[in-house]
Amino acid sequence: MLKVNNVGVSYGGIKAVRGVTMELRPGELVSLIGSNGSGKTSLLRAISGLVDVDQGSIFIDGKDVAGVPAHERVKLGLAHCPEARKIFGQQSVMDNLLLGAFLRFKKEKKSEIEKTIDEVFAIFPKLKDRQTQLAGTMSGGEQQMLAIGRALMLKPKILILDEPSMGLAPVVIDEVFNVIGRIKETRQTSILLVEQLAYRALQLADRAYVLEQGVVRIEGTGAELQNSPEVRSAYLGGH
Amino acid sequence: MTEVLQLIISGAIQGMIYALIAFGYNLTFSTSKTINFSLGQIVMLGGVVGYILYIDMTSGHLSGMPFIVPLLAVMVVGALAGAVVHKTAVEPSLKFKSEYTWILATLAVGIIIKNGVEQIWSTGDYKMLSPLGDEVIRFGGIGIYAQEILIVVVSLSIVCGVEIFKRRTIYGKAIQAVSEDKATASLMGIPEKFVITISFMMSACIAAIAGLLVAPLTFVAATMGTVLGIKAYSVSIIGGLESGFGPLVGGLILGISETLTARYISTGYKEMPGFIFLIVVILFKPNGLFGKKIIKKV
Repeated sequence: MLKVNNVGVSYGGIKAVRGVTMELRPGELVSLIGSNGSGKTSLLRAISGLVDVDQGSIFIDGKDVAGVPAHERVKLGLAHCPEARKIFGQQSVMDNLLLGAFLRFKKEKKSEIEKTIDEVFAIFPKLKDRQTQLAGTMSGGEQQMLAIGRALMLKPKILILDEPSMGLAPVVIDEVFNVIGRIKETRQTSILLVEQLAYRALQLADRAYVLEQGVVRIEGTGAELQNSPEVRSAYLGGH
Repeated sequence: MTEVLQLIISGAIQGMIYALIAFGYNLTFSTSKTINFSLGQIVMLGGVVGYILYIDMTSGHLSGMPFIVPLLAVMVVGALAGAVVHKTAVEPSLKFKSEYTWILATLAVGIIIKNGVEQIWSTGDYKMLSPLGDEVIRFGGIGIYAQEILIVVVSLSIVCGVEIFKRRTIYGKAIQAVSEDKATASLMGIPEKFVITISFMMSACIAAIAGLLVAPLTFVAATMGTVLGIKAYSVSIIGGLESGFGPLVGGLILGISETLTARYISTGYKEMPGFIFLIVVILFKPNGLFGKKIIKKV
C-alpha cells in the first residue's frame, strides 16, 4: 500500500530524516513512535509531498511518487491529517467536511458525498450538532475530530494521522483513540499513526517502528515493542 | 438639498468603480498574500481594448460592432493579463528570499503595460461612447447617465456573484481554503498554484471590465488607470484587504467624500479626505474596517 525506501529529508542542510525504510500493508495499522525531533512529522510530510525528499523513493499504491505534487498524491487515496489539526478555522464545520471530499465532487454524485457525511456524523455525533459553526471556534478535541472526519471524507485507502492526541484532555484522547480503533476494525483503510503517547500507539498497532534521530531504531509487531526492554525504558516509562 | 443628493449619488457611482477594482486587489491578496500593483494598468487595458473595438478611431463614431464583442474581448484580455502577471512577476518573485520582490515586479509589469500601450496605440485622450447613449435620466432634480446605472448594476452583480460563488460552491470554498492555509488545502487535493492563477485571472478580468465601464465617463488614454489603481488600493486598505464586501463600503466613502469636498471646499482638495481617512484607518484599524479577525485556538 505504502512503501518508503531509504528516504531522507533535510531542512537547509540539517538532516531530519536519514534513510528510513518502512512499509504499510493493506488494512494494517502501523505506528511510528519517537521523541520530539526524531523526524516523524518530516517523514509524513515527505510521504504526502509537502516537503521534497533528498534521497530514496516513496511508493503509494505501487506508484513511485517522485516529483508528484501533494494535491496529486491525494488522488491515489492518501489522506493526511496533519499535526496541530490544521482545520479551516474561518469556514464552517460542514464546509471543512466538504473540502475533505474536494476530489470526489468531480466524479461522484452529491448523494454519495452526503452519504459519507452521514457516516462521519455517525462516528462523531458532535460534529452534526455543530455543522454550521465556524470550525475555528470549536474546542481542541472537537477540532481534532473534525480533522479526522475531514480526512475520512476522501474515503482514503491510506490514512495518515500525525499526533492526534496533541494538546487534548485525557478523556478526549480516549475518545480519539476509540475512533482510530474503530476505523482500524473496518480494515478498509490502512492507517499510519504517529504519536507521542507511545503506549497507546503500540496498543493499537499491528506493527510499529521506533524512530530516533532520523533513522529506524527498532521495528516489530505492536506487542513485541510493548514488551521490548529498550522501548519500555525509553518510551513507556518502565524500568 | 437636491444638490447634496446629486453629489452623493455621483460620488457613490464613482465609488462603485473604486470598489470594483479594490475587489480585484482583494481577490488576489486573499489567495496569494501579494498585491498586484499592475491592476490599475489592466483597468486601462480594458478601457483601451474596449475603445479600439467599439469606436472607429478616425471618425470617433461607433464601429458598428455589437457591445458584446468588446465586452467579451475585454474580459479575455483581462484574464490573460492576470495570468501573465502571475506567471511572469509574482510566481518568480516568491522564489526569492527577499519578501517584497513582488511589489517591484508587479509595478514593473504595470509600467510595461502602460508604455506598451503608449508605443503601440497612442498617447492621446479619446472619447468613449456609452452603449446606452449619453442622455441624462432625470429623477426629480437629480440627473444620472444610463452608463452610471450600468456601473452600479454591474459592479454590485460582480461583487455579489463572486462572493456567493466563494461561499456556496465547492470551488469557491477551495479558494477560501487556499487563502487560509495553502499546505493543508493541497492535502485536500486542491491544486493551490492553479487556484492562485485563477484568482489572478478573475481579479484582472474584473479590473478590465471596470475599465470598460468607466471609459465613457472619463477619457480613454494610456494614463487613465494610474490614479484609479492607486485610489482603489486605498479603498482596499480602508475596507480591509481580506474582506469581500469591505471594498464596497470603502469605495462609497472615498467616492462620496471626493465629490462633496470638490463642491464645498475646492476641487484641488478633493482627494484629501479619502487619504486622511486612509491614514486614520491604518492607525486605528490596520486590518481595515471589515478586516477578518483571525480566530486561532490551540
